[in-house]
Amino acid sequence: MSAWRLALAACVLAGLALPGHANAATADSVGRSIYLRGVLGSGAPLEGTREAGVVTTGADAACVNCHQRSGFGSVEGGLSIPPVVGEYLFHSRAQDPSEPVLPHVESLHGNRDPYTDATLARAIREGLDSQGRPLSYLMPRFALSDEDMAALVEYLKKLSVRRVPGVTDTVLHFATIVTPDADPLKRRGMLDVLEQFFVQKNLFPLKPSPRMLTSGKTQYSKSMYMANRHWQLHVWELTGPAASWRAQLDKHLAAEPVYAVLSGLAGSNWAPVHEFCEQSAIPCLFPNVEVPVIAERDFYPMYFSKGVLLEAQLIARTILGADNHPAAGAVEQVYRAGDSGEPAAEALAAQLKGHGVTVHSTVLAAGAQGHGVTAALRRTALRKDARGRALVLWLRPADIAALGDVPAGAATVYLSGLMGGLEKSPLPAGWREHTLMTYPFDVPDRRGVRLDYPLGWFSFRHIPVVAEQVQTDTYLACSLLADVLNRMADNFVRPYLIEQLQALLEHRLITGYYPHLTLASNQRFASKGGYVVHFRDPGNTALVAEGDWIVP
Amino acid sequence: MIPRSHPRLRPHTRCPTPAAVGGRHSVLVRLALLTGVALLVLAASGGFANAADDGFSAPAPAASGPIRSIRKYAVPAVRLVRDDGKVVSLPDEMNDGRPIVLNFIFTTCSSICPLMSSVFAQFERRLAADADKVHLMSISTDPEQDTPGRLREYARKFHAGLEWQHYTGTLAASITAQRAFDVYRGGKMSHTAVTLMRAAPGKPWLRIEGFVRPDDLVRDYRELLAAR
Repeated sequence: MSAWRLALAACVLAGLALPGHANAATADSVGRSIYLRGVLGSGAPLEGTREAGVVTTGADAACVNCHQRSGFGSVEGGLSIPPVVGEYLFHSRAQDPSEPVLPHVESLHGNRDPYTDATLARAIREGLDSQGRPLSYLMPRFALSDEDMAALVEYLKKLSVRRVPGVTDTVLHFATIVTPDADPLKRRGMLDVLEQFFVQKNLFPLKPSPRMLTSGKTQYSKSMYMANRHWQLHVWELTGPAASWRAQLDKHLAAEPVYAVLSGLAGSNWAPVHEFCEQSAIPCLFPNVEVPVIAERDFYPMYFSKGVLLEAQLIARTILGADNHPAAGAVEQVYRAGDSGEPAAEALAAQLKGHGVTVHSTVLAAGAQGHGVTAALRRTALRKDARGRALVLWLRPADIAALGDVPAGAATVYLSGLMGGLEKSPLPAGWREHTLMTYPFDVPDRRGVRLDYPLGWFSFRHIPVVAEQVQTDTYLACSLLADVLNRMADNFVRPYLIEQLQALLEHRLITGYYPHLTLASNQRFASKGGYVVHFRDPGNTALVAEGDWIVP
Repeated sequence: MIPRSHPRLRPHTRCPTPAAVGGRHSVLVRLALLTGVALLVLAASGGFANAADDGFSAPAPAASGPIRSIRKYAVPAVRLVRDDGKVVSLPDEMNDGRPIVLNFIFTTCSSICPLMSSVFAQFERRLAADADKVHLMSISTDPEQDTPGRLREYARKFHAGLEWQHYTGTLAASITAQRAFDVYRGGKMSHTAVTLMRAAPGKPWLRIEGFVRPDDLVRDYRELLAAR
């Protein structure tokens, strides 16, 4: 929050510190800052007054809250907040066949004359529409100076439905990104699904779309262009050290402009890709990552879940209990250097801090899966009395299989299900009785019905199921994108894609591994909780949830 | 029979003119309505049986005012988590003897919820010394996102007083509560602005659909108490 405020202050100062700069640039940043942040040209907070004197100020008063970053507004319950994109505000209602049609927007209030600069200023100041009728009670009245008003109107005029990179009249370009440390088996599984999905998507006969002419109103609610646009997938495989990924991504983007990044696969580090998407303003939809970047103020990256960071929260919640009385006095964490367990262990240590729990880490050498685990555990087992200890394993299946019959040296063992292979984890029989596994998905016997469709789809298309969760998540990402693009007609503005996903996701019924998905403005993680489970028997994969779905 | 001259209180009908909004009514009519005569009329017309199909989810025209109706709701025995982190039972929270003013919000809702919360805040302020006699309740319709911590932060933003609590819980518990008060519309994004008010346990609820001004809410509240 404070970092964001600092950044905001820096933006404002940057705007003010250029007195000799062209007026256009300054007005542009002022319009933007009023719209997105509720900060006036003077640096003072924007203030809006609603009916009966309900006042809203600053960021809460910013236009973006209701009209959205895209400017296309929203439909929430019975209320539709209209688009304020210039082309819609100033669009003529007259039947002019030479005028290009504007894509359909659900919230468009078409039954009015086009705005002029003067009537738009009146709408913002007095709450009257282009014909002098009162606007909704939701729209505040803003006492803007002439300069601020001009800057804001200019900003609205620049919000546009056109010229979206990665979208041509006939092709929609998407990229998927694979980092060099990604698991090769999961990579193959993910790419199989993506490639097949694109093949299916492009099976429709491609004929040129008829050019639609205007009636002054948008006439179609289903996309006519969409069916005729070819989906093209670009696989961007990163190489070398993480520090070089950004330059590679920029180069890929310059060579192959894409509309959005779809799915993707990482080892333990996705941060450079996250930053690339945010800074390049490219939607980055539901990658298969264990360690996402938690930055709720960012706009373009979206994830299914917080991955191992969620698991760390689930373990912290279980150890601390609802009343913050730690069930263990000491926690020993085991992870491999450079793997996803490292940030997960850091996150858990941070959450246990200040609660009187001693946290130790045993770090295994990078690579060399399956080696050194038992020796390390024997050393840690000698440290302290097992009764007050919890052991947390951030390990891969090969290391877990190697645990053998080493004593855990702890009353309770926590195992990352995401890293350890979920119910198929090769946890030795002797460990199963006192091991709790974090399970950031719905449990197998409850999610079956939601997997029938994607698994049937894989089977029908001869896609080998090599990494079920990654592959069904990939399928889910593809089908969510297809659904949302259908809803958007041929309105491809990138922020609108994010906003539509946020608004529509909760209505999705087939949610794969997740019990339900939901997003909204300023939400980045669609599934918010998980279970803590244990194995029912030493000999099979049956799981029993320790309690309800936990949202830490 | 409800007189035609009081369209504001006719259940299941829209106010025909904005002028009807906030119109004053004789105490007698209100008393009659609030003490159950209206319930009989409603029951006879079958109004309760299909309350969900009565068109309340249709968008309200911008210029129309709120729609008031008298309803009877069974408070479901669900467990919710209060913003102080404590697990509580919804009936217990509602039956502590104080009048209740209730709404449903979620903290990442950027359009209508902040306005509803501002109205609650102003309502609290306008009640002034009487504020500690009321219990304001806001139940999250996005409970997995709205952890107790996030609710506290939200409450602070609106300067919520001691008598105003926010509630979260499981998604199922939230939906049960929403259904019980006939505000569930299939998801948090389909919500409508509804304010509910009850003078005391066992009494019917005043349901206000749409945007209600803080002054009108105070007036509704005082009249509801006067009729108790």
